[in-house]
Parts: sequence; C-alpha cells; structure tokens
Amino acid sequence: MLRKKTCVAMLLAGGQGSRLGILTKNVAKPAIPYGGKYRIIDFPLSNCTNSGIDTVGVLTQYQPLELNAYIGSGAPWDLDISNGGVFVLPPYQKGKSGEWYRGTANAIYQNIAFIQQYNPDYVLILSGDHIYKMDYNAMLNYHISHGADATIAVRPVAWEEAPRFGIMNTDENDRIIEFEEKPKKPKSNKASMGVYIFTWEKLYKYLTDDEADKGSSNDFGKNIIPNMLNDNQVMMAYNFTGYWKDVGTIESLWEANMDLLENPMPMDMHDKKWRIYAKNPGMPPHYIAKGATVTDTLITEGGEIYGNVHHSILFAGVVVEEGAYVESSVIMPGSVIKRGAVIRRTIVAENAVIGAGAIVGEEEGNIAVVGQGISIPAGATVPAGQQVDESYSF
Amino acid sequence: MKDIMGIIYTGENDARLRELTITRAIAAMPVAGRFRVIDFLVSSMVNGGMKNIGVIMQKNYHSLMDHLGSGKEWDLHGKHEGLHILPPFLTRENVGLYPGILDALRSNNSYLTRSKQETLVLSNSNILYNARLDELISFYRETGADITLMYTKDPTMIRDEYGTYIKVEENGDVTDMEVQPTHPAYGNCYMQVFVMKRELLLDLVDKAVAHGLHSMEKDIFLRLIQSRSAKINAYEYKGKCWHIDSVQSYFRFNMEILDPKMRKGLFRDELPVYTKVRDEMPAYYGDNSTELNSLVADGCQIEGKVENSVLFRGVKIAPNAHVKNCIIMQDGQVQEGAYIENCILDKEAIIRQNARLIGPEAYPIVIGKNVVI
Repeated sequence: MLRKKTCVAMLLAGGQGSRLGILTKNVAKPAIPYGGKYRIIDFPLSNCTNSGIDTVGVLTQYQPLELNAYIGSGAPWDLDISNGGVFVLPPYQKGKSGEWYRGTANAIYQNIAFIQQYNPDYVLILSGDHIYKMDYNAMLNYHISHGADATIAVRPVAWEEAPRFGIMNTDENDRIIEFEEKPKKPKSNKASMGVYIFTWEKLYKYLTDDEADKGSSNDFGKNIIPNMLNDNQVMMAYNFTGYWKDVGTIESLWEANMDLLENPMPMDMHDKKWRIYAKNPGMPPHYIAKGATVTDTLITEGGEIYGNVHHSILFAGVVVEEGAYVESSVIMPGSVIKRGAVIRRTIVAENAVIGAGAIVGEEEGNIAVVGQGISIPAGATVPAGQQVDESYSF
Repeated sequence: MKDIMGIIYTGENDARLRELTITRAIAAMPVAGRFRVIDFLVSSMVNGGMKNIGVIMQKNYHSLMDHLGSGKEWDLHGKHEGLHILPPFLTRENVGLYPGILDALRSNNSYLTRSKQETLVLSNSNILYNARLDELISFYRETGADITLMYTKDPTMIRDEYGTYIKVEENGDVTDMEVQPTHPAYGNCYMQVFVMKRELLLDLVDKAVAHGLHSMEKDIFLRLIQSRSAKINAYEYKGKCWHIDSVQSYFRFNMEILDPKMRKGLFRDELPVYTKVRDEMPAYYGDNSTELNSLVADGCQIEGKVENSVLFRGVKIAPNAHVKNCIIMQDGQVQEGAYIENCILDKEAIIRQNARLIGPEAYPIVIGKNVVI
C-alpha cells in the first residue's frame, strides 16, 4: 500500500500538436524545446514540484520516445522519489480489450487504477501545451476553502479574442454558472487555462458515468464539465493573472520565445524560489568570440558564437560561424549556422545545419521553420513562412 | 571496467591560492564558468567506468560535500557502489588531521578493505585534466605493471620547485623520479594519478605509515624505483592539463580555456564533464552589451562590456560597466560605470558604481567571498 497523497497531478501529454507542423513530426508537443534550455513540459512539471505536488502521471500517446527519454527518472524535477514521483502512462492492453486514449476524459479514465493507488482527495489535471508559472497549491487551497467539487483556472483574455477560447461565465462569487466552448458572442472574458482540480470522489463518478455513455466524446470540455454543471455541482473559477501562453502554433511558439526578451520579462525566470527545472546536457559555458556581436539575446551553455546575433534565443551547443547573421530567431539545440548565412524570423529545430551564405526567412511575414536534422545547402534561399523538411526541394 | 575503483585525495597544500581557499579545498575551486576542479576528476573516473569512488577530504571540506551531495549528477547514487565521502574523523587509529596522503589512506583502511574492486586508480586534485582513464587502465593491464603512473610531456606543466618529474624509458618503464626539484632534469611531469592493485596499495601504505612515512612519491614510489623491487611504468596523457595550485596558475587556466582549441582539448564529446546543476535561465545580453572573447554561464545578465573574461552563473554586469581579463564567480555583480581588470571575484562579491580596480597581470587581485567594494 502506498502512502496516501492529498493531490495527484495528471498531465495530458498525448496530443500531436498538428498546428506546429514539421516541429511535431517526430516529437510530441510537450517535448518541444522552448526558451533556450527548456522543453514545454518543464513548466507544468516544475510548477508541480514547486507547489509541493510530488506525484505526477504523464499520459503519452503520440511519438512518446523523446518525451519518455527526457522525463527519465524525473531527477531534474526532484521527482525521482520512492513514494510518488513522475510516471509515464501510455495506453495499454487490459484483458481482451486495449485501446488508444479516445479523449482527455478517457485518458484519465483508463488510468483510474494509477490514481487509486495513492487514494488522493483531489486530482489536478494539466496539459503540456502552455508556458506559465503557477502555484497549484494556492489553487488547491482555494478549491478546498470554497468547498468546490471542481475548480477551473481562468485568466482574462481580450474580448475580441474570447471567441477562440473555452469561456467560463461566473456569478459575482466566481462560481461557474455556464461554460461555452468558443462562443460567438461571449458573455465573459474568463478563458479556461486547461488546469482543473477535481475532488477525486466526484471526478471518479463522472468519469465512470461518462464512460458508460456511448455517445460521449469523452472530453473534459465537451462532456465532464457540462455534465457537472447540469447537475449543479459546485464549480469554481480560479482567477490567474500571471503570464500564460499557449504555444500551439508556429507563430505563438515563436512569440512565446520572443516574450523572454521583453524588458522587463513578462514572467520572472530569475526567481530563485520558483525555478524552472530542466534536464542539463552538461556542457561548458557558452563562448563569445572577439568580433562577434550579441544583443538582446538569450544564450545557454555549449554555444560558440563567432557571428552576429540579435533578438534571438540560442539553445545548447548552437554554433554561429563568422559573418553569419541571426535575427529574431529561435535556434534549437545542436544546430549550426555556417559562415555568412542570414536567418531572420525563423525557428531552426534541433541539429539542423544552415549552409554557408544561405538566406532563411525574411524581415517580415510568417515564421519560417527548418526541421530537425535538416541541412540547408550553401547559398539556398528559404522564403518567409516556409517549412523545410526532407521533402522540400531547393 | 567493472573491477576498478577510484580514490580522489583533496588534502593538498593550498596556501598559494590565498583567499580563494580559505573556505574551500582546491578540489572545490570554481573553474571554467560552471565547474569545480573535482568535477573533472570525478567525471573522468565515471567516464572510465568506475562506479565506486571515494573522496578523501581533509580541511574546509564543507563546500566540497555540498557540491558532491549524493553523487547523483555523476550517476553515483547507486545502492551498492557510488560516491563515498571520506572526511577525517577521530578514532583510536585515526588522528583526524592527516600529515600526508599516506596517513589519509591508512585512516580509510576500512573503506579500502571493504571495497570489492581488485584495481584502484588514485588521483590528487591539484592538476586538472579530462582523461580517458579506461586507456590508462588498459595500458596498466596490458603491460603487466605493478604500478602505472600517468604523466604529461606538456612543457607548460614543467615548473621549478613544484611537481614531480619522472624518467621514462622507451618501453614505458620508470627508472627515476624527482620530487619538487629546483631544476627538473626530466620533461615528464607526473600527474599524481596512478593505478595499482587495491591490496598492494593497502600493503604499501600500511608498511610506510608503520615506519612513520607520509609521502606517496618520496616514501613509496621513489624507494620502489630505486630498489627495483616493483615494475613501475608510465602512461602518457596526451590531452591538456593544468596545475591549479596558486592564484597565478588558477588565473592562467581560466584565461587559456578562452582559446577554442584549448577548450576542445578539455571538453570532448566522448568525455562529458558533469557538475551540480543550478537551473538558471540562459544568459541574457542587453541592447548595449559588448562582449569579446569570453565564456559566460547561464543566469548571467550582461548590459555592459566584457572582455577576455570568465563569468560564472548568475553574474550581473550593469550598463557602462567594463570587465577585462577577469574571473567572476557565481552571483558576482559589477555595477554601473565600474571598471575592473585582472581581478578574481569570489562568490557574491560586488563592485559598486564607478569603482576602479586594476590588478597587475602577473598577480591578479583576489576579492573575497561576499566582499563589497
């Protein structure tokens, strides 16, 4: 018997993230590199550790290899403990049946046995799609003190953007009275962040009922939450006003990276009390050579910079050769920018090589993307918004 | 390689490192922007296949213990083997303070006896290297030596009055050794790393200490070489290595690895160097920062000018500040308008606005931990 846990976190990391194009061809979205040394999943995992939640199930389904290898024993997040820790939970065969996760609610349903081991009072549901720092423990206290059955984290969005989100309509006490998925005429601007806390007993009942309903799409937003509202359960909105960014598209991923270069930073990454942990590749500090210019940029370990870098994010081991120019771009681990290449408004995925004198991306227009391990021939040109993978011909 | 254990001795004389070693052992000296000297030694041993590593501590060992922790960063937190921290302690047979390495080994007799590995690699910690120790061990095994010493022909390692030098014959045998000669006769610097059978070491140490002897080189190796009573040969380490035993040599090492060729010689893909991770965000460069020929670790915030310098994690250089030929350890700050040259700032030192501090190149100024100027 494992020791009882007050709260267990379940992190939904199975989505493909198809709007990220070639970036998610070989890796699941939560494993996408972000911010010079992190991956998206580092944010929810670090938030868990910093919030005192030490038992996390990570539900994977799409391209799990890189994510599994990355999570490993959970040591970078202090989640390599004997009572609890981080667990990768892929779908598996059960008796004669066995199936993929059909929806977010079904994914949790299929792992009821995992949750029951810890006999928790509450379950925190997270997704691996967002960049934010949040104290889940404060949210849990709010959930408990309001005697809620479910608490949904919301944040205010611009009214004109509200039709793109799941919107919570609340009364004056922040109790949710209605949930509308992408409403044409929103009544509120409180958008769901995809962070839920449920009293486990209640969630268990609704998951089982939902599973029995053959017509259900087994989704939290479409089924579980509306069903609970219909039954007049106590559903609270928890207001979050900090930085939060969905990184579901190429443009938003690029923007979220560029946000780190704002002054002051919209999210304090130097806060020693709320560090974001990441697996460390063990490289020496980065080196800036004589003659290089680097402005308004983040660079991490292992980098070797001989060229010019402006307003960019450079990951571990990136090499920028002499005379190369990098502007407003995100260069992921191990990529090499050869002599005289010019890169603007581009995301270069891991271990790519940009040939000498190549011109990638443009000063304006959409973000260009160079896929994992791709070599751009010397002198080639890649226009704005172009995604370059193996099938692209120069 | 399963049958090898490692011992790191961290009790060297460190008087020539001045303030830098008041609160720490040489092995705990911060180097190269994010490492400590011992990271290179432990990583070499781990990369060489050793899973049982003992670190003998002598004095000021708190920062060393804090840094090594459970050995997790080096994958040394296993159940059976792993990292063993061996601080001095007082018992009937243990005097606490060790007069020399032999006494230290004698005091840790029970750890050495209990260890299961047949062969042992011992390394001191005042020479920094990143070696293929598996090659050293293969050489030792193939040549059937009783003891194999590791040495370098690197001319920068030959210095007056310090160090141990050996005469190596064509077949690799060692036929003479000089300890701290004023004028070294041989161009082979013994790196204070050797391999031998664990049982043999136990026996040699026991006999030597029983006769009131303290020095590994003078009292054991030299006697064995002169009496020809053991086969001692030497393996040449061809990579880069540095003495870290004085302010000057410490400063020189940090400045030399600014050279990409030197850095490549030390940090090799097949020999990763692990260290305690601090989870800082990547370094940030402001709009007006200029930085030339420098190594910069994560967590730094650079708005001013940095030249030929090594900045450790979390260092802040304010706008209009200028840093030249400096080593700034963790969380140091240089405020607006300040100018510093040829300085070593220990952890959390602060140089206030418009301060000027210029040291001579040959004798860098050392600013102690937490000092504000």
